[in-house]
Amino acid sequence: MLKVIAACGSGMGSSQIIKMKLQKVFKKLGIDADIYHTNVGDAKSQANNYDVVFCSESLVGQFGGTKAKVIGLKNLLSEAEMTEKIEAAGLK
Amino acid sequence: MDILISVWEFFQNNVLTKPQFFIGFIVFAGYALLRKPIYECLAGFIKATVGYMILNVASSGLVGNFRPVLAGLKDRFDLTAAVIDPYFGQTAAQQAVENVGRSFSMMMMVLLIAFTVNIVLLAFRRYTKIRTLFITGHIMVQQSSTALWLVLFCFPNLQDPGVVLMLGLLLGTYWAVASNLTVEPVAKLTEGGGFATGHQQMFGIFAVSKLAKYVGDPKKSLDNLKLPGFLSIFNENVVATGILMTIFFGIIITILGQDLMHQIDKGFKANQNFGFYIIEKSFNFAVYLTILQLGVRMFVSELTNSFQGISEKLLPGSMPAVDCAATYGFGNPNAVTFGFLFGAFGQFIAILGLIVFNSPVLIISGFVPLFFDNATFAVFANRLGGIRAAAFFPFCSGIIQVLGGGFAAWYFGTSQFGGWHGNFDWDTLWPVIGLIMNYAQYVGVAAVIIVLLAIPQIMYRRHKDTYFVIAEDYDEYKKIEAKKQGVPVDQVVID
Repeated sequence: MLKVIAACGSGMGSSQIIKMKLQKVFKKLGIDADIYHTNVGDAKSQANNYDVVFCSESLVGQFGGTKAKVIGLKNLLSEAEMTEKIEAAGLK
Repeated sequence: MDILISVWEFFQNNVLTKPQFFIGFIVFAGYALLRKPIYECLAGFIKATVGYMILNVASSGLVGNFRPVLAGLKDRFDLTAAVIDPYFGQTAAQQAVENVGRSFSMMMMVLLIAFTVNIVLLAFRRYTKIRTLFITGHIMVQQSSTALWLVLFCFPNLQDPGVVLMLGLLLGTYWAVASNLTVEPVAKLTEGGGFATGHQQMFGIFAVSKLAKYVGDPKKSLDNLKLPGFLSIFNENVVATGILMTIFFGIIITILGQDLMHQIDKGFKANQNFGFYIIEKSFNFAVYLTILQLGVRMFVSELTNSFQGISEKLLPGSMPAVDCAATYGFGNPNAVTFGFLFGAFGQFIAILGLIVFNSPVLIISGFVPLFFDNATFAVFANRLGGIRAAAFFPFCSGIIQVLGGGFAAWYFGTSQFGGWHGNFDWDTLWPVIGLIMNYAQYVGVAAVIIVLLAIPQIMYRRHKDTYFVIAEDYDEYKKIEAKKQGVPVDQVVID
């Protein structure tokens, strides 16, 4: 089971969109993932307990020094971009 | 018959007038309709109900924390005060609605009807020219709350069914029309990202994307700017709210003075240091906002999930209208912080102006409009007008937010409860709609709906050839534009 955080500024809108799109993409790729969506502050403090963090490219800088993989997305709604970046990062 | 009446009364007293259970049952029913297993329906019911109850704890905490300060301002300067922030606004609207003895459950009914209206407008897009479905759940909750109070303010004698139907129609039309306005700006910014903005500053985005090219030069963009590193702490909600509230309440409470605060705030113990009292008081706002957001997140995530499902299943070829932050990845990384800074600059100047000119209401900057509206404007402005536009529009927006929000908080009376919605459209368009409703009553509501519905018709008439193409197939849109400009597709200029 891959443990995933989806993060955005307020933890309300964009992170939920990332989460919903990720769920679809992971299902298509046959990866079993548990996704939690929250705000950046919370995500930072919890990131070490997760395998990977997804957020907007503009927020990647916030996650310096985390053990988890951090993947920045340009288009939060693009399943193609997610698939590509998941494969490039070798997640399974 | 008697049995029917008593069943209805039981339902009314225990569910209909108790928003937490009403929302819980709606989620339960929604999941049941989606044929989810019964245990998941139950889990949804519990999460939605508990989420709403958490929200209630937080909003009474917010109000309780604010009350002594409001009392002090009234006592000392005969002032009311409002934080312009959608969470404070939602709380103030809820207090105002309950204060006149109406049920806040109506908020949820308004939301569902408005969402349905948006679906219907989209389904008949051949006639309505609507291309977008608003699915940003937490925003829909906030806007339904504030708009519910506006309607009750303007129509105090209208019965509940009339209120929810009329407002559902009005708000649903606004969601559809306003998010539809952002199709072109967002598509051009994201080069066909496949979404529109469904947030709180949609008219603002439209205006900025029309005006930015007159203000600056896109070649002088933010790229070469180096912003000081400490600004990154404002990316965190709790930190930003803590800092903002400490600045504002620090000043206000210091002016009110230690003696007065001892008199009106029982929570201020005789042996507590004044400075630490101020910090505790200010940080309390960050505490309750965090709790409030936790509650909203719990019951809204259930909602948004099903909205997203509906938008994908029912309406292929349409666009989801989502959170404004989804555009940030496409903007210059500096734009977000830059917009926030200049918005803050504008707001602070306007607040000083209010004080100098003896305004009856004092405005306190809230984090959400300051950050999310102005950052969004900067992202759009920078693309077409470079650094000058990215400074100019957030700065103007900051001023407008304070003046418009101040007027609305005063006129609609939510400053008694310490808040106003505060985001751009709710400091400009909605106070005007409120005024029209108040003076022209039903005729006014009808007129507003007709004018709103005319907007997509006008847009369609101006670009008949590309109006639907830009939403459905961006590459095709570029080809059409290239043909018009007489250049190859890779040299086409889209502004």
